[in-house]
Amino acid sequence: MNEAIHPLARKAVIWHLAVTALVIILMMIFGVIMLMNQGEMISITPQWFYKIMTAHGTGMVGIAALGGTAILWYFLSKYVKLNPAILIVNFVLFLSGVTMVLISIFVFDFSDGWTFLYPLPAQSAKMYGAAGAVFFLSGMLILGIGFLLLYMYLAARLTAVYGGLGKALGWDIIFRGKKGYGPPAAVVATAMVIITNSTALLAGATVLAASLVNIINPAITIDPLLAKHLTYAFGHIFANCTIYMAVIAVYEVLSEYTKRPWKANKVFLIAWNCSTLFTLMIYTHHLLMDFAVPKWMLIIGQVFSYANGLPVMVVTAYGALMIVYRSRMKWDFASSLFFLSMFGWVAGAIPAIIDATIVVNHVMHNTKWVPGHFHTYMGMGVVAMIIGFMYYFNKTEGNQQHRGIDTFTIALYFAFFTGLVGSFLYAGGISAPRRWAEHLPQWVLSDQVGAVSGIFIVLAAIIFTARFFAGLRSVGTNVPYNKNSAAG
Amino acid sequence: MYQVIAMYATVFFVFLLALAFAFVYGESKRSGEYSAIQERGYKIRKFYFLGLIAIMAFATIMTLGRLPYDRNQAEAEGIIETKVVKVTGIQYAWEMSEERFEVGDKVQFDVTASDVTHGFGLYNEKMELVAQTQAMPEYTNTVYYTFEEPGTYQILCLEYCSTGHHVMVKEIVVEPEGGASDE
Repeated sequence: MNEAIHPLARKAVIWHLAVTALVIILMMIFGVIMLMNQGEMISITPQWFYKIMTAHGTGMVGIAALGGTAILWYFLSKYVKLNPAILIVNFVLFLSGVTMVLISIFVFDFSDGWTFLYPLPAQSAKMYGAAGAVFFLSGMLILGIGFLLLYMYLAARLTAVYGGLGKALGWDIIFRGKKGYGPPAAVVATAMVIITNSTALLAGATVLAASLVNIINPAITIDPLLAKHLTYAFGHIFANCTIYMAVIAVYEVLSEYTKRPWKANKVFLIAWNCSTLFTLMIYTHHLLMDFAVPKWMLIIGQVFSYANGLPVMVVTAYGALMIVYRSRMKWDFASSLFFLSMFGWVAGAIPAIIDATIVVNHVMHNTKWVPGHFHTYMGMGVVAMIIGFMYYFNKTEGNQQHRGIDTFTIALYFAFFTGLVGSFLYAGGISAPRRWAEHLPQWVLSDQVGAVSGIFIVLAAIIFTARFFAGLRSVGTNVPYNKNSAAG
Repeated sequence: MYQVIAMYATVFFVFLLALAFAFVYGESKRSGEYSAIQERGYKIRKFYFLGLIAIMAFATIMTLGRLPYDRNQAEAEGIIETKVVKVTGIQYAWEMSEERFEVGDKVQFDVTASDVTHGFGLYNEKMELVAQTQAMPEYTNTVYYTFEEPGTYQILCLEYCSTGHHVMVKEIVVEPEGGASDE
């Protein structure tokens, strides 16, 4: 089934992408400011450093989720009729939540990090006033409710069209021996994200509500270790799922460009089911240094963090290599970024897997190694997918053409992102702690390399964004999204 | 040691990955029949999958026997404590029941926090992170460490604990075996 995207949804996708593009630039600038401060190139107060750090972390994860949602909605609309009102409700709630988060940080000086690790917000509320923590936690709660509503709606639609989330994940093929292929990749990925992110959001809502109650009435407390489990069950899964939404574009677009099918065969479906299960389990690798956690749970954190690398390494990235191999594919902005994003995903997974090894984690946890791996994954994976989709959208819905400057910008972005993540990983290797406003002299050089790399990354992002907004002018001039669409 | 292994392993595997992507990019300009490519690709994938499983199994076997968690493990490695040190993290300082050590001291650090979660990160004189655990209110995490070299060690906070996080540092002195030299 091939449906055309609803015109209102198309507009909503544009709003999502426009906000995503602008916020990414702003968050990148925040990142550069932090690195310049650590690298002694500028001087800001620790209070401002940690406020910017809180905004950077919250903003980047949030905006990656927003961009991923635009991709998911756009491609899922090909196969499932969707009501754009739900997407718009999520967008409005997202903006409302973000506004509250920004007020908490820049008006009420909230600076407890995007992980708001209990009981830190309550402790900060005692010192700096409750308004900051209450605005931040409430904003996150509203943001989460928006996504939860979206996933509940998508679950209902997949159930109506495919007979349930299990069938959308191909269980009848995996377990009941049904022949043929499973649903389209966009549907399989959506089912996975519904299951994992709904779980994450419920965990997040629980700890957010508990933290709020604790601030209002300190007599009501929650076990700090339980709170930490809930926080990382929320934060890790939610951040992880941004790539499982964005990768839908890779499946759809590389298949279209190479004119080769990328169908959900049994191995593909098993891989996505494994990703569903492992993504739910592996947040425990954030607690490897909490020795009070049962040892078996921590060993699961290591073993399944290893295993979680397999679906992407063996199926998704390998599938991307196979579909591109000897395809005579046209290399343009979209195909280049999608191809490179698969490299970024796996390259980011490698140091993550290494750090999930308990004995390594013992001497590398919470060093800059950690942002090293997730900046690879987010910047060269998720964000590359989102930027690639922006171009694809303008090209498909309008008439944007690839130009020489696009090749230059992609090279600029990836070259300096390699410099940035290399500086992070090196700093982690020499034990530089993460989330420190000021650094010792031996760590400063790596910060300076990171800051300079970051400046060029911002430049590349500004060019990408300018090209995206310029290309938007032609959107609507092209035939609808799917040229063969029955509805189009 | 593990930091060096982590860095070299990352560079090695990312380099292999880059080679694979560069190879496929180079080959993308040629054309081939996809069903034949798939058939060959799936055969290669089996070996690739088994190779990854073997690497992961090897890493698991090599490392799960060296977990830093429990007393049994510490005893097996000969780290039977001679000193039990109570450590409490509080914004933004470390309170310790003992601050001077000698080379050869096998120390059991019982780590907790009295306000918010902190991270107990033990750095040697070269500022290499040599051991850590979380310092969490209501819980005591025990980490074992044997001081093998004299010098000034530092305890850094490794879990973000608000705006004074980076000043939460404490120096501890490890003297040569037999006590401080008079020279």
